[in-house]
Amino acid sequence: MSARVDIAPASPRLHLQMLHRIGTLTMDVEFALTQPWTVLFGPSGSGKSTILRAIAGLVRPDSGRISWRSAIPPRSLASAAFTVFDSSAKKLMPAYTRGIPLAPQAASLFPHRTVMENVAYGRRLEGDARGGAIDETLSLFRIGHLAGKRPVELSGGEAQRVNLARAAVAAQADGLLLLDEPFSGLDVALRSGLMSDLHAWAASRNLCVLSVTHDVAEAFQLGAEVVKIADGRVVEQGPVESVLTEERRRLLEQLGVGDGDTASSEPYLSG
Amino acid sequence: MDTQALWLTLRLALSTTALLLLIALPLAGWIVAGTGGARALVQAVVALPLVLPPTVLGFYLLVALGPLTAPGRLIIRLLGHPLAFSFSGLVVGSVLYSLPFAVQPLVAGFRAVDPALLEVAATLGAGPLRAFRTITLPLAKPSLVTAAVLTFTHTVGEFGVVLMLGGNIPGATRTLSIALYDQVQDFNYAAANRTAAVLLAFSLVTLLVVYWRGGGRRPLLVG
Repeated sequence: MSARVDIAPASPRLHLQMLHRIGTLTMDVEFALTQPWTVLFGPSGSGKSTILRAIAGLVRPDSGRISWRSAIPPRSLASAAFTVFDSSAKKLMPAYTRGIPLAPQAASLFPHRTVMENVAYGRRLEGDARGGAIDETLSLFRIGHLAGKRPVELSGGEAQRVNLARAAVAAQADGLLLLDEPFSGLDVALRSGLMSDLHAWAASRNLCVLSVTHDVAEAFQLGAEVVKIADGRVVEQGPVESVLTEERRRLLEQLGVGDGDTASSEPYLSG
Repeated sequence: MDTQALWLTLRLALSTTALLLLIALPLAGWIVAGTGGARALVQAVVALPLVLPPTVLGFYLLVALGPLTAPGRLIIRLLGHPLAFSFSGLVVGSVLYSLPFAVQPLVAGFRAVDPALLEVAATLGAGPLRAFRTITLPLAKPSLVTAAVLTFTHTVGEFGVVLMLGGNIPGATRTLSIALYDQVQDFNYAAANRTAAVLLAFSLVTLLVVYWRGGGRRPLLVG
């Protein structure tokens, strides 16, 4: 735990500070992402999705500042830093200029395009590079055999994988990728394999991933940094083992595993 | 059967449809893109021909395009003749008269496109124009066809605007509906019967095609 925290403060990839009201929920959120993969954890209605939408540019927060920078600056450090939203400077970059793909919770596939055309939508490279990246992503998400199908022919789990692939392929190397409940609706066998493959793939491209979940097991399996949200506020941030200890104990109790005997008897949680 | 009037009617309907789609596409896109007083006003003006007697529209156009107004005088100076009582004048009148029949199906079709799809397209780097071209327009294609067919059919069937604005000049402004009116005035009921039958059959067949394609589920006009 301490080792990870020591590296952390050096270089936040994304910094977010926002005040926002939706309905009766008042959000007052501030956090910085320093790890390759961070999980926003919290109950439904706590404002997790709104945070992702604010980063992507689909929601304009009432006030605050959102900025991110590439892990490896191409030339100078300054050119790799972007302030996508700053209410005090009246700056709001439209979503399509931010280059931050967001895989929404509902798959929302383009119904008139094939799986292949859906996945390729955000990828505007030409020639071999484009084809290579797309083929790689199709096989990563185990949807290569669905390439020519229309969204209406897909099962829920298949559509969800296409949704993830479409966002992943559009992520710029060293860029950000936002995933809203990415592994919901996938069957358990597929889920574990996909999770670790996606984790490795994101690491190889030096992506900074922010995913939303309310699933304790998923947070542990990803072994990610956790930002815990409740009622529109950050209650805790840190490695999953320290932030979600209590949730994990409760979950294991519910499963009938008991406190003494921990993850060893529950392979699904052993990450 | 007045074949000259038949050709003139088809020519008028085709020109009107082509021109009106060019106007209605961006207009409907703009109406759907947001809310506000200006959009409400534009929608109300667009819908006016649905409730207004065509003669009212024809009367105002006749005055506006004539030498009594500045735009009318400008047109006369540019063309050398007034737009009224000419084919071009009829096209202008028909475009205004059929505006709701083109704009309203398009607005309904664009509104029916799931906004979540456009959000995804934006986060994937598609600007408003690319999103419109690659997502909204293909998904609203049935509405585009409906708009075109309705505009065409409605123009074929117009009478009041043509009568006020165009008069009854064979080869220039004498459409089928005017020809029918003339034939009845002349007590030539046999010719009138043939003209009426052509108009009836044409309108019925086109509407049949629209409803057949939509399976009868899609409303033709949705405010």
